[in-house]
Amino acid sequence: MRKFSKQLSCLLAILLFVASLAGCGSSSSSGKEKIEVFSTKNAENTEILQSMATEFEKTHKNVNVEIVSPSDAGTVLKTRLTKGNLPDVLAMGGDATFMELQKAGTLEDLSKKSYVNSVQPAYKKMVTSISKGSGLYGVPYATNASGVLYNKTLFKKAGVKVPQTWDQFIAAMQKLKKAGIQPLELTFKDSWTTLPIWNGLAGSLQSKDFTTQRLKNKTTFAKTHQEIAQKYLQILNYAQPDFMGTTYNDGNKAFALGKAAMLLNGNYVIPELKKTNKKIDVDMFPLPASNDAAQNRITSGVDVLLAVSKSSANKEAAEQFISFMMKKSNAQKYVDDQFAFSAIKGVEQQDASVSGIRNNIADGHVVNFPDHYYPAGFDLASLLSNLSLNAENGMTTNKNVTQFLKKADTSYNTANVQN
Amino acid sequence: MKITGKKINPAFYLMTIPIAILFFIFHTLPFLKGVFYSFTDWQGYGNWNFVGLKNYLYVFTDPDVTGSYIFTFKFAIAATILVNVLSLLLAMGLNSKIKFQNTLKSIYFLPYMLGTLIIGFVFNFIFANLVPQFGKTFGISALSTNILGTDHAWIGILIVTIWQSLAFNTLIYLAGLQTVDHEIYEAAEMDGVGTIKKFFKITFPLIAPFFTINMVLSVKGFLMAFDQIMAMTGGGPGNLTTTISVLIYKRGFQGGQFAVQSANAVVLFLVVVIISIIQLRVLEKREEKLN
Repeated sequence: MRKFSKQLSCLLAILLFVASLAGCGSSSSSGKEKIEVFSTKNAENTEILQSMATEFEKTHKNVNVEIVSPSDAGTVLKTRLTKGNLPDVLAMGGDATFMELQKAGTLEDLSKKSYVNSVQPAYKKMVTSISKGSGLYGVPYATNASGVLYNKTLFKKAGVKVPQTWDQFIAAMQKLKKAGIQPLELTFKDSWTTLPIWNGLAGSLQSKDFTTQRLKNKTTFAKTHQEIAQKYLQILNYAQPDFMGTTYNDGNKAFALGKAAMLLNGNYVIPELKKTNKKIDVDMFPLPASNDAAQNRITSGVDVLLAVSKSSANKEAAEQFISFMMKKSNAQKYVDDQFAFSAIKGVEQQDASVSGIRNNIADGHVVNFPDHYYPAGFDLASLLSNLSLNAENGMTTNKNVTQFLKKADTSYNTANVQN
Repeated sequence: MKITGKKINPAFYLMTIPIAILFFIFHTLPFLKGVFYSFTDWQGYGNWNFVGLKNYLYVFTDPDVTGSYIFTFKFAIAATILVNVLSLLLAMGLNSKIKFQNTLKSIYFLPYMLGTLIIGFVFNFIFANLVPQFGKTFGISALSTNILGTDHAWIGILIVTIWQSLAFNTLIYLAGLQTVDHEIYEAAEMDGVGTIKKFFKITFPLIAPFFTINMVLSVKGFLMAFDQIMAMTGGGPGNLTTTISVLIYKRGFQGGQFAVQSANAVVLFLVVVIISIIQLRVLEKREEKLN
C-alpha cells in the first residue's frame, strides 16, 4: 500500500509538471502563415489595426493577421523577450522599451526597405538617435505632439491672443486671471503629467548636446537647467488650487467643461475632451518657453513605430503587412482615427483641434521629448512632483530649485549605470 | 523514525503532496530563481554574467532605497499599532451581548472580502471628490484639498489600510475571546474586580497567543504594503509614499533594474523574516510568563 502511494504521488508530480510546461509553449500550425501584431497602445488603436488587418487579409489570402494589445504591454513584452518568444510585428512607442529591445539585438534592420523613403527625416533621426548601430530598427508611423491645449472660446472672451514668447505667455495668463478665468488646469495627482511641461521647456531651452554630454557625465542639470526649473515653478503660480490632488481624468473633465483656459499636455487628450464635451472649441500651440519665438518648437515624438522581430518565422508576411500599413491612404485612415500625426510625408492631420501646430509638424519644426533620452530608471516625474509639492508648501524658489537639480543629478547618476 | 502499528491512509498523501508540488513550482522555485538572479546582471532577458555582491552594495548606496525603508517602517509601525488596538476594541464590543451582533459582525468583515485594488480606487474617488466637496461646503480648509496630493498623503493610505485590515484581525481576536471561559469573569465579578483590571489581568493574558499571531501577521503584511499604494498614489507625491515593494516594482519592471531590485527583494525578505522571528521570540516568552 505504501509503495503504491509513493508511486502514485510520483506520477502525480510528473503529470503536474508536464501539464504546467505544456501550458507555456503552444504552437499550433494551420496551413496559413500567421503573423502576430503586438500593439503597446492599450487597446486605443486595436480597432483601426484590426480593420487594416481584415483589409490586408483580403489581398493576402494565405496570411492570417492577429492583433494583440494587452494592458501593461511593456511588461508583457519584456516577459516575452525573456522567453525568447517575441511577436512578429511590433507597433510600439519610440521609448525606453524599444531601446531595450533594440539594444538586446532582437529587431530587424529595416533601413534598406523601400517604404522607409516616405518617412520624414526628423522622425527617422529620433529613432536612430536612441538605437545602437546605424540601422533603422523601427519605422516611425504615427507621432504625437505635446504643448499647450487652449479653449478658444475662453481666450476670445478674455481678449487673449495665442502667445508667441514666454513674456506673452505669462501676460496672457495674468489677463485671463483678471478676467476671472482660471488660466491653467494641472493634474499632478498623476505625476506623469508633470513631464509634458518639463519636456516643453527643456526641449526648447536646453543646449542641443545636453543629452549626450549628460550621458557621458560631462555636464549636470545643476549647471544647465536652472532657467528651466525656475520657469516650471513660475507656471505653477497660475494653476488651480489643489492641483497636486487633481487627477488626469478630473482635470480633463474640468477643462472640457470650460473651467480653465489651458491644459499643458498632448494631442492624445483631445479625444478624452470630446467625450466630455463634444462642442468644445480647442486648439494647440507650442509651449513658448523662450522669448525668442523662433526657438520655440513643438515637442513631438514617435508614438508608434513598426518593427519586425528577428526571431519571426514569417518575416516576409510581416514586412508585407508593414508596407501595407505605410501606404498613404492607410496612414491617413490611421491618423484620422487616432487624432495623431503621421510620420509619413504628405499625410496630414486635418482636424481643426490641432490646426495651431499642423504647420510646425509638417515642416519638421519639432523637437523630441527630452525625457526619451534619459536612462530608464531615472524617475523624473517623481522629482518634478516633489518640486511642485515643495513650492505648494511655500519653500523659496531658490532653495527648491537648487535642491531639485541636485537630486536630479544624483538620481540620474544612480540610474545611469551600465551593468 | 518508524511509524509502528497503524498504516497511513494514502488519501492523506493525496491531500498534501499535490499542493506541496504546486507550491514548490509556483512559489519556491520563482523565489529561488529571484535569489539566483540577484547575483547576476540580468535585465530580465538576454545574456547575463555573475557580478557577485555588486547589486547588494548598489542597493545600499541608492538614497531612494533608504528613504523607502524609513517610510515603510513608519507606515508599518503606525498601521500595526492602530489596527491591533482598534480591532481588539471592536472584538470586545462584538463579543459582548449586544443587539444586531451578527449584522455588525458581517458589516465589519465586509472590507476583507473586497479586493485591495478596488478599495484603493474607491477611496481615491472619495479623497479626490467627496471629501474636498464636504470641506468646501462647511468651510473646513484642511479637508478641502485632496489629502493624497499633500505631505499627509500617507495618512490617507493609512486610513484605508486600517479600515481594510480591521476585519481579519477582529475575526482572530473574536475567536480568541470566545475561548475564554465565562465562569472566570463571573468569579472575578464576585471578587469585585474592575473592568480595566479584568481586561489586563484576565482577558489579555488569556488571548495572548492570538495577540502574537495578529502582531506577526500585521507587521509582515504592512512591511510589504503594495496594492493600496499603487491604487491610490503610485508612490507619490514625489516619493513620499513609496514603500519598498512599490520601489522594487517600479524600478525592477519599469526601470530595467531587474537584478538590482531582485537583490533589494532578497534584502526585504530577510528584514521581514528577522523581524518576524524576533517578534515571535519576544511575544512567546511573554505568553509563557503570563501563563
